[in-house]
Amino acid sequence: MTTFQLILYILIFLPLCLLFYRLTPQKHRWKALLGFSIIFYLMLCRELSLILYLAGAVLITHYIGIWLAWLQSEEQREIRESADSAGKSREKEIRSRYRTRARGVLAFGVLLLLSILAGLKYYNFLIRTLSEILNGAGLSSSLSEIRILLPLGISFYTLQAIGYMADVYWGRIKAEPSLAKTALFLMFFPQIIEGPICRHSDTAEMLYAGKTPERTDFTAGYIRIFWGLFKKLVIADRLALLVSQVFDDYRDYSGVVVAVSAVAYTIQLYMEFSGFIDIVIGSGRLFGIRLPENFRQPFCSQSAAEFWRRWHITLGVWFKSYIFYPVSVSGTVKRWNQYGRKHAGKYLTRLVTSALALFPVWLCNGLWHGDRWSYIFYGMYYFTLIILGTAIEPVRDRVLSACHISADSIWLRSFRILKTWLIIFTGELFFRADGLKAGIHMFRSIFRDFDIGNLWDGTLLNLGMSPADFAAVIAGCIIVAAVGHIREHSGSISTRIAGSSLPLRWGVCYALLFALLLFAAYGDGYQAIDLIYAGF
Amino acid sequence: MEKLMNILNEIDDSIDFASEERLIDDQLLDSFGVITLVAELEEAFDITIEASEMVPENFNSAAAMWKMVTRLQQEN
Repeated sequence: MTTFQLILYILIFLPLCLLFYRLTPQKHRWKALLGFSIIFYLMLCRELSLILYLAGAVLITHYIGIWLAWLQSEEQREIRESADSAGKSREKEIRSRYRTRARGVLAFGVLLLLSILAGLKYYNFLIRTLSEILNGAGLSSSLSEIRILLPLGISFYTLQAIGYMADVYWGRIKAEPSLAKTALFLMFFPQIIEGPICRHSDTAEMLYAGKTPERTDFTAGYIRIFWGLFKKLVIADRLALLVSQVFDDYRDYSGVVVAVSAVAYTIQLYMEFSGFIDIVIGSGRLFGIRLPENFRQPFCSQSAAEFWRRWHITLGVWFKSYIFYPVSVSGTVKRWNQYGRKHAGKYLTRLVTSALALFPVWLCNGLWHGDRWSYIFYGMYYFTLIILGTAIEPVRDRVLSACHISADSIWLRSFRILKTWLIIFTGELFFRADGLKAGIHMFRSIFRDFDIGNLWDGTLLNLGMSPADFAAVIAGCIIVAAVGHIREHSGSISTRIAGSSLPLRWGVCYALLFALLLFAAYGDGYQAIDLIYAGF
Repeated sequence: MEKLMNILNEIDDSIDFASEERLIDDQLLDSFGVITLVAELEEAFDITIEASEMVPENFNSAAAMWKMVTRLQQEN
């Protein structure tokens, strides 16, 4: 979705949907939402056939859910029928039999969805890797890459679908009997492109209820949308010019310029992704639907682990719920736990257990982002840092205690935040670089010809951004940081403004609109900037 | 319940487990803490905690954990 399409969405598509939604009787409103979602998807699809993948995912998810629900009801029926005659051992046998069957059904559904995702996303990656291996061994390869168009939002709706099926399997939710309602849950139009990745229990009830939104929802929704636009158009789209210039021709740059581009990309990514999520959450709010938050002031984090609890939160929660915890209570990890507690001591047992459960999380995190070794490196980078953080925790606590330094001391907190920034900037450099080799080259080039004077001697002005652009970006970042500070300590600002007096409400709306009109980056160079996470 | 409180205090004695009711929601107990706790609970109470039980509602307070433990003991 380009900036131009985004503005059309906000100015035309969204108001038309809202009008139609309000005119539709409450019990049919969910159908209207489904209709808007289908139209939205068709409008953004580069090829109409790509909607077949989404339709397939809906069908698989829905009927696996129904199958699991049928197995659960059959299990209950058999238990009821055998309750009087055979006692508890028979009940256990029935439960175990049905659990095996349900596990098979769930695995079938998950494998189907994952094989579609993997086939589309990683086929060319596998071909490339195989060819490289064969070439390295002196053999020629007849395998060739094919042109694959990725269906919009596939990485997001696939995770949401797997989460739904797993929740039905575990009995956390009931299977949705209506196919159309399952479709709406998976493809609700604001969130289909970049998430947030919702659990059925987060949104389904609100999506289907069709309640009339309150006035505060309307105001808070629009404030959130304008705020998201501000972050994207004033800050992210400007930084995109500098970032693409340095990252696309990375061999021409070194030292401070590369370091600045890594910082600029991190800010661009945050402003763009969180800005778009603001637009998504604001859009949902206009219909009275509260979507889960995806960011919570990530640059306040004092460690890499905390950063991932504040950055792309719904992805982290998904990995925790459907990979980390299931792996941590799996047979292998439990066996290690029992062995470790007897032979290796509590510290080592905890560390290895954490590593065993965390490794697949970060491998999947890397792979989820795409078919590049640099993404896998990115996942392993955070895996290593988080495990190292856990490993040195006792030593760090002892050192702090011996030096009489409080964990809450402002100096220590500032040091930890700065250290986390370095970790984040380095990670994002590899994430954005055009492959792992380019990432390594760029990282090493930071230490070549490093001259801090490049920050103010005009070097940075040759990278596509004018002094006015730098001023707009810096001012924008200060405003975002100030709002983040208030949000961190006092909660949602848009809801509070929406509930305030009329002059303040309208004042904020007008201020945001004027800021957008005056300071947003418009022009030919900006309109074609695609959303970064929509590509995943 | 006393046995459970001893386990919890051994994991992190800086948390007031008797009164806290949002251990997971407020991130007082992180995911590493939870998996350590699960291993301890399984051994101490001779229960099996499966993936389906790994939800915040079961770990947000000592009372919720105790409820889960007694339910799993009955099911065994």
